[in-house]
Amino acid sequence: MSEILNEVVQQEEDTQKGKFLTFLVGKEEYGIEIKYVTEIIGGIQAITEVPEVPEYVKGIINLRGKIIPVMDVNLRFKKEARDYNDRTCIIVIDIDELSVGLIVDNVAEVISISDADIVPPPDARAGFHNRYIKGIGKIGNEVKLILDCQRLLSTENLEDLKYIN
Amino acid sequence: MDKSLSKEPMLEMFIFENLQLLEQLEQTILAHEKERCLENAVINEIFRIMHTIKGSAAMMMYDSISSLAHAIEDLFFYIREFHPDEMDYSKICDMVLDGIDFIKNEIGKLEQDQEADGDSSPFVENIEQYLLLIKEASANSNLINEAAARPAGLQKKFYISTSKSPPTENIKRYHALIYFTPGCEMENIRAFNLVHKLKDQAEQIDYLPADIIENNDSVEFIRENGFAVIFTTHLQQEAINELFMKEAFIDSLDLRVMEDEEWEIEQLRARNQIILEDEEPTISNNRAKETGANLHSGGSRQSLINVNVDKLDRLMDMVGELVISETMVALNPDLTTATRLDNFHKATRQHRKIINELQDIVMSIRMVPLTMTFHKMNRIVRDMSKKQNKNVELVIRGEETEVDKKIIEHLSDPIMHLIRNAIDHGIESPEKRAGLGKSPIAQVYLEAKSEGGDVYIILRDDGAGLDKEKILERARARGLIQKPDSNLSDGEIFSTILLPGFSTCDEISEFSGRGVGMDVVLKNIEAIGGTVLVDSAPGQGTTISLKIPLTLAIINGMRVKVGNSIYIIPITSIKESFKAQRGDVIVDPNGKEMIMVRGECYPVLRLHKKYQVKSALEDISKGIIVIVQNDSGSICLFVDALLGEQQVVVKALPKFIGKIAGISACTLLGDGRACLIIDVANLINPSKS
Amino acid sequence: MKSVLIVDDAMFMRYTLRRILEKNGFQVVGEAENGLLGAQKYGELLPDIVTMDITMPELNGIGAVQLIKQINPQAKIVMISAMGQQHLVREAILAGASNFLVKPFSDERVVQVLNSI
Repeated sequence: MSEILNEVVQQEEDTQKGKFLTFLVGKEEYGIEIKYVTEIIGGIQAITEVPEVPEYVKGIINLRGKIIPVMDVNLRFKKEARDYNDRTCIIVIDIDELSVGLIVDNVAEVISISDADIVPPPDARAGFHNRYIKGIGKIGNEVKLILDCQRLLSTENLEDLKYIN
Repeated sequence: MDKSLSKEPMLEMFIFENLQLLEQLEQTILAHEKERCLENAVINEIFRIMHTIKGSAAMMMYDSISSLAHAIEDLFFYIREFHPDEMDYSKICDMVLDGIDFIKNEIGKLEQDQEADGDSSPFVENIEQYLLLIKEASANSNLINEAAARPAGLQKKFYISTSKSPPTENIKRYHALIYFTPGCEMENIRAFNLVHKLKDQAEQIDYLPADIIENNDSVEFIRENGFAVIFTTHLQQEAINELFMKEAFIDSLDLRVMEDEEWEIEQLRARNQIILEDEEPTISNNRAKETGANLHSGGSRQSLINVNVDKLDRLMDMVGELVISETMVALNPDLTTATRLDNFHKATRQHRKIINELQDIVMSIRMVPLTMTFHKMNRIVRDMSKKQNKNVELVIRGEETEVDKKIIEHLSDPIMHLIRNAIDHGIESPEKRAGLGKSPIAQVYLEAKSEGGDVYIILRDDGAGLDKEKILERARARGLIQKPDSNLSDGEIFSTILLPGFSTCDEISEFSGRGVGMDVVLKNIEAIGGTVLVDSAPGQGTTISLKIPLTLAIINGMRVKVGNSIYIIPITSIKESFKAQRGDVIVDPNGKEMIMVRGECYPVLRLHKKYQVKSALEDISKGIIVIVQNDSGSICLFVDALLGEQQVVVKALPKFIGKIAGISACTLLGDGRACLIIDVANLINPSKS
Repeated sequence: MKSVLIVDDAMFMRYTLRRILEKNGFQVVGEAENGLLGAQKYGELLPDIVTMDITMPELNGIGAVQLIKQINPQAKIVMISAMGQQHLVREAILAGASNFLVKPFSDERVVQVLNSI
């Protein structure tokens, strides 16, 4: 029984491997591994603000009875706040039993990038500052920045900020 | 996947069932210990529970648990069968209780995903030695019993059947030598089973070893030498072969026809050691009794099932969703465009009624009586009074009161703490009590009752009471009280013993008042939204009341508007609300706002400032003031407007957000929006949480 | 597929046996938590085989065997015993039990015994 289950999971992982959901934040195009994505909510619904959290945590939303926090990826990357419009989306990702909604400017597409086409990001000395990028994927002439979801959600980080605030 | 759910169901069940059995056993023993004798029913119960634990633990390979349970089972087997006169009941109870503690502790380790690595051999030895002791004692006092003692050593004799007739033409005599599958256990009884089955088909059955039942050494003998049977039958060899091999656990069978001469020699050899076989062995008396007992009493436990709490939580959530979605349907904005809605409204009223009933039922499923929690305290009282040489009786009232399962988990520790404190510091020694003209037997009352939406748990002792002066002095020395004495009520003074820092560990020995670790009580009770009240009269005792909300999952809330945000204030903490005039507000030199209401001064907290809400009302006279209170004080909250009362399903804040000062949880409103629930206790006294 | 009724006062043992049996092609048609209910359920379900614990409240396994044998003298009953219960197992056999298992037991032994009767 468990063997069959493992197989199914294995297969699922196989079919998801190398697939990325790409989206726009500002002018850059980012990608996250599709296995983390549980759903995409088009448009911005009512967000309930929560006090005492960093600015990039916009608050909480009701996702079919489940309350999940949402963060603005723009602000997370310390970029200027942008107004939300009808193309703005919330990508809900699920990591280690933690569900979080990511507010992005636009969802582009699902693409495959083979491991060979993913290179590590240039290090900080080369003037590269975004510590949430874990790799750079190449599709023809285009480049997608691949996000490190774990780091994006790291709560210790959030705790730190809370103390500073 | 949720880790707590991934524990193997077998292990989970093992833990659950055995903890329940141990709890039951502990209560039984405590209830009967004082009677200085154990009724047969009690002995039987102990025996049975230990037997069950032994079996389950053996299946799970927890040898230390299984061997300890076995030792206790043996002890009570002996007690049940032989009713020895010379028994120290107190010691026996101690031994069993120690055993229970050990097993509980081991199971506790399993619960924490640790190894059950404790060594039970000292307990086992202790119990075995004691069993030996009472065996010897009763042997001395009752010499007649010795005749009944089992013969030592293995008797290597054949049984000789009483009915004898020489084999005829069609009837042959066979010799079978059987080896059983190694490790199948109880080989002697398997041999007995074979013989028993053979009886239908064969006659003149003799076998070696002969005393397969009475002598346990026969097991070893059969393992080494096999089990030999001689019998006569009209069956053909093949049929017999089949008959034997059909049985489970037969490793090998050697079957041959036996000639008469060979048989006679065998008989001659056995002549001097013949045992006559009874036609039908008698069932030992007490067992027959047990077998026949209670034929008429039915099983009342049958209608109960065990449900995982997680499932209940989910059910509760689902019902919460249902309540919300019902509101969303009934108050749907699209409905405003329709002209006639009479039938719709009728239907929704009915719908709501059913949902409310469903909600009540689901809530009641989560409710658990306090019985177990209360009865656990018997053990604490027993151990404490034994240790301190005090004579204390625990009187339990209202144990049938039900509270939410989640709350129950938080109650055990505080109650235990309070009882320990009461006996340790409150109750006087028997001599002192006698000198004061008090009954030498002190009483500790543990009572539960429900009143309105709350449950009260009251712990009252008839000890020395609290020393007000001493507490006041100490509280001041520790900076726990700022107000002048005259403004302090007795309750406020006594309550300081609950504050962290009132007493510290190094002073336990010399400080005779209360307060050792009492802040743990306060913390636990506040964590479940409850409050603690202390009252005391010198010389007459102390009463501590725990006030607990009936359920955590659904609360009555007041929706308040602050800017564009909506917050929920629990109705139970709202004292009143009113419109204030600009002139009512006083500002102290630090910029802190205060307001006078009927001669009393309350601090004002503007929620929009506290929660950094933009575009909220700034003008006190335009908004509204809500006075909220709990036992540690009152405060005025300034909000834009009250929007109305609503039942809300309490949901935890997402883990990612963590804990936020001043917010206790969140919920969903009728329109589907998420909304924050205000933590009143934190707003009144932020330093406490 | 052979149908089995499990009679045992320990939930843990019922669960364990059910798992073993269902894994090995038996159909568990019922459970009972004491001898009395076991005998009642036997009458209702008439299973091919009964696994019967010995030490139980209300009515022990031997009493239950006696009752079941009155319902159906051909009933196939396997006793579930523990070390030290030799005498009781013997009584159960005399009462009509077909065979027995000794705790702790492996899946294999359970299957062996149930297939042998």
